[in-house]
Amino acid sequence: MSDEKQVDTGRRGLLVATCAAGGVVGISTAGALVSTLQPSERAKAAGAPVEVDISDVKPGEMKVVEWRGKPVWILRRTPEMMASLPKNDSLVADPQSDKSFQIDMPEYAKNEYRARPEHKEVLVTVGICSHLGCSPSSRFTEGPQPNLPDDWHGGFLCPCHGSTFDLAGRVFKNKPAPANLDVPPYMYLSDNKMIIGKDEKGEA
Amino acid sequence: MIFSKKLLAILALLPGFVFANEGTVQLDRAPERSDIASLQNGAKLFVNHCLNCHSASSMRYNRLRDLGLTEDQIKNNLLFSGEKVGDMMTVALRPADAKSWFGAVPPDLTVIARAKSSGAGSGADYLYTYLRTFYKDDARPTGWNNLVVPNVAMPHVLWDLQGVRTIKMVEEADPHEKGKTMHRFDGFEQVTPGTMTPQQFDEQVADLVAYMSWMAEPTRDLRKRLGAIVLLFLALFAFLAWRLNESYWKDVK
Amino acid sequence: MGAFKETKLPTDAPAADKALAWVDDRFPLTKLWNDQWGKYYAPKNFNIWYLFGSLAMLVLVLQIVTGIFLTMHYKPDATLAFGSVEYIMKEVPWGWLVRYMHSTGASAFFIVVYLHMTRGLIYGSYRKPRELIWLFGFAIFLCLMAEAFFGYLLPWGQMSYWGAQVIVNLFGAIPVIGNDLSLWIRGDYVVSDATLNRFFAFHVIAIPLVLLGLVAAHLIALHEVGSSNPDGIEVKDNLGPDGHGIDAIPSHPYYTTKDLFGVSVFLLIYSAIVFFAPEMGGYFLEYNNFLPADSLKTPSHIAPTWYFTPFYSVLRATTSDFMWVVMAGLAAYVVFIWLRSRLSQKTKIAITVLAVVLEIGMLPQVLDAKFWGVVLFGSAVVILALLPWIDHSPVRSIRYRPGWHKAVYGVFFVAFLVLGYLGTQLPTAAFTLLAQACTLLYFSFFLLMPWWSTWGRFKPVPDRVTFTPH
Repeated sequence: MSDEKQVDTGRRGLLVATCAAGGVVGISTAGALVSTLQPSERAKAAGAPVEVDISDVKPGEMKVVEWRGKPVWILRRTPEMMASLPKNDSLVADPQSDKSFQIDMPEYAKNEYRARPEHKEVLVTVGICSHLGCSPSSRFTEGPQPNLPDDWHGGFLCPCHGSTFDLAGRVFKNKPAPANLDVPPYMYLSDNKMIIGKDEKGEA
Repeated sequence: MIFSKKLLAILALLPGFVFANEGTVQLDRAPERSDIASLQNGAKLFVNHCLNCHSASSMRYNRLRDLGLTEDQIKNNLLFSGEKVGDMMTVALRPADAKSWFGAVPPDLTVIARAKSSGAGSGADYLYTYLRTFYKDDARPTGWNNLVVPNVAMPHVLWDLQGVRTIKMVEEADPHEKGKTMHRFDGFEQVTPGTMTPQQFDEQVADLVAYMSWMAEPTRDLRKRLGAIVLLFLALFAFLAWRLNESYWKDVK
Repeated sequence: MGAFKETKLPTDAPAADKALAWVDDRFPLTKLWNDQWGKYYAPKNFNIWYLFGSLAMLVLVLQIVTGIFLTMHYKPDATLAFGSVEYIMKEVPWGWLVRYMHSTGASAFFIVVYLHMTRGLIYGSYRKPRELIWLFGFAIFLCLMAEAFFGYLLPWGQMSYWGAQVIVNLFGAIPVIGNDLSLWIRGDYVVSDATLNRFFAFHVIAIPLVLLGLVAAHLIALHEVGSSNPDGIEVKDNLGPDGHGIDAIPSHPYYTTKDLFGVSVFLLIYSAIVFFAPEMGGYFLEYNNFLPADSLKTPSHIAPTWYFTPFYSVLRATTSDFMWVVMAGLAAYVVFIWLRSRLSQKTKIAITVLAVVLEIGMLPQVLDAKFWGVVLFGSAVVILALLPWIDHSPVRSIRYRPGWHKAVYGVFFVAFLVLGYLGTQLPTAAFTLLAQACTLLYFSFFLLMPWWSTWGRFKPVPDRVTFTPH
């Protein structure tokens, strides 16, 4: 019995080595199994960038397309809509879009219109409220309306918990939603054709 | 002890017993084609000749990137009717139409190279032989018949490459039954030439079949490479476990 | 039981020890570990045949874990199932590996379990007082066959479909209720989406739960009486000064390390198959199953998966001609029982009455060979359960039996393997005759065991185990 009290270094070394090897076997198997949960090729293909023809979107109109299962709004703003935006600067929570929701704000959209400069009147934004994920409805008419303030210049109202967003997708102060609407990566293939989900940096 | 030995002896002999007695046609061996150029050529042949009637609905176009093609190359050379590179290789031909036009629905080809394996040869061998043994037969609705699949519903899609051939049949005595005769296949006869010589045609079909084998299991090469690493590692693990076991059992008297 | 007694460790004791003490006061964790493994004393002379029980547990875990991950992507719908398997193979990251692990694991399970049962046969592990362990094991075997059968339909290939169609139609052979029974099992007039969905439920949750319960029962029954060993002697009959069998050792660390080594060799073989030969020549992944199920076209050669082929052979061997042989055999057996068994008069009369009923039933005008084929098929499996009561050998292990008993076992194993091989082949006249001969050998091994197991000169059984130190 006294042999057991002495540390058998040979045995201990083997124990460590075997456990280490066994650990590698276990972890690699577990790793393979767990990675089966990653998006499959089917999910990735369904999430591929979407080409949109915007020649039929007239000023003041909005088109909705699907990208990665979510609604993306393409709103061609009128000059009046564009002029109303600075009036909201003091009323919105994050006028410079310093905080992002789920998608990092692309550099080209970090301006007062939250749109690419070559077509700054066209707003491209993901129509999912940054609160709990409902899709806000359009409220483009100016002036007082139910659930909207008296100095409403047009924008979006989320029906679930009342968050409001302006015509650049910026969330108003003191609303449940914590962040502005996401702007996805996008670029123009021509004046009338844009691709959503892809820009100079590549595919999202 | 004698048990395990007996069992082992029997088990060792078993593989010798395991042969299938199916396949009336001797299958030719499909040539080995694992280089990227052959597989790319095979992909091109497949998309151009097979996808008109057959689907490969579990195969995504953009998987061809594994064969060294870029998405643009796939888009420009292999997509024809408005599909996107992320789409599956489906076909517009409706099964009901196929049934009425050909008498049978062309099967999906994604894993056909695995389905057609048998004791007579691999799936690739089957497909390689099948695609090269069509012959002219006016008795058939399509005008074509095939040695591997008698009275096949499929026409000879590659006829312009191989040309038109008929078969020569010879009557000879049946070795199994006295007094009876049987027809035996005695070679092909070229009626009109194709755009390729027989060797060129065989090479193209070899590429096509290699592609279909790849498409049936694109991860096959990865599987084997990984397997080598895994086995080496497990051999080390087994060695360590053995020594560890001995280090404890030396105490058991 | 009594009042709650809190274990108090000194304040400078390690936190881990304190945590364990806290749990042990409320849940028999250490006790469970010690009773079930840590201090479960087992004979020291276990050989390789004693590895397969632990291996079976490992394969069960492998199948459950890979099965869970497959279920995340598989679609149990007749129009989607086949495609979803290809989706797993081609589109799910590492899906191909999980699939091959599961398909190889299924065949590995049967190889391991057949070897595990072989150990039971050669060492008399099922003898008193271990009959219940054997019965639980038999139930596990039945569940395993059902689990494999239900699982095989799921890929919805040609073999899946037609294999299920044929086996479910076997139930149609039962007189009177057969057709309705088949309809009820299928949920439809032919194997269809309804059948697929219910087989999915059985395969994924119902049978695994039953299997886990039976495995627990199997182990509890084992630990209650203690393990046997290759010499067949009871190590607890000879206690050492520490109160444990003098020839017994604690499972931890000795069998932890030994099983670990055995597991590592198994993983080597298993991985070689997964990575280099997952189809195994069409025996582990059948070629025809790469064709989607077609209810209108039966493949030219259907065979069940390899692990069912021995019993399938018995079914096919039961032709109407063979029924005469069976009838003659039954009659001869009853005569033999009257002349040579020590059963009571009452029992002999009961057996004779039963035999007469069976003989009448076997007449071609009464019940056809198809029905009796199913009966023999089932009997070939069920007869295994009877082993504890038909083996009358004075010794447990083959080691101390007359040498020629080894030949008898050898003939039995060869007959079983030949039946297995024949089950993969198309039936010819010669093959059918061979299958019939092997069927007779197979059943005779069991039915005549009460007699032959007592014949010959038995060797003296030692009172210490045969053990060579490492």
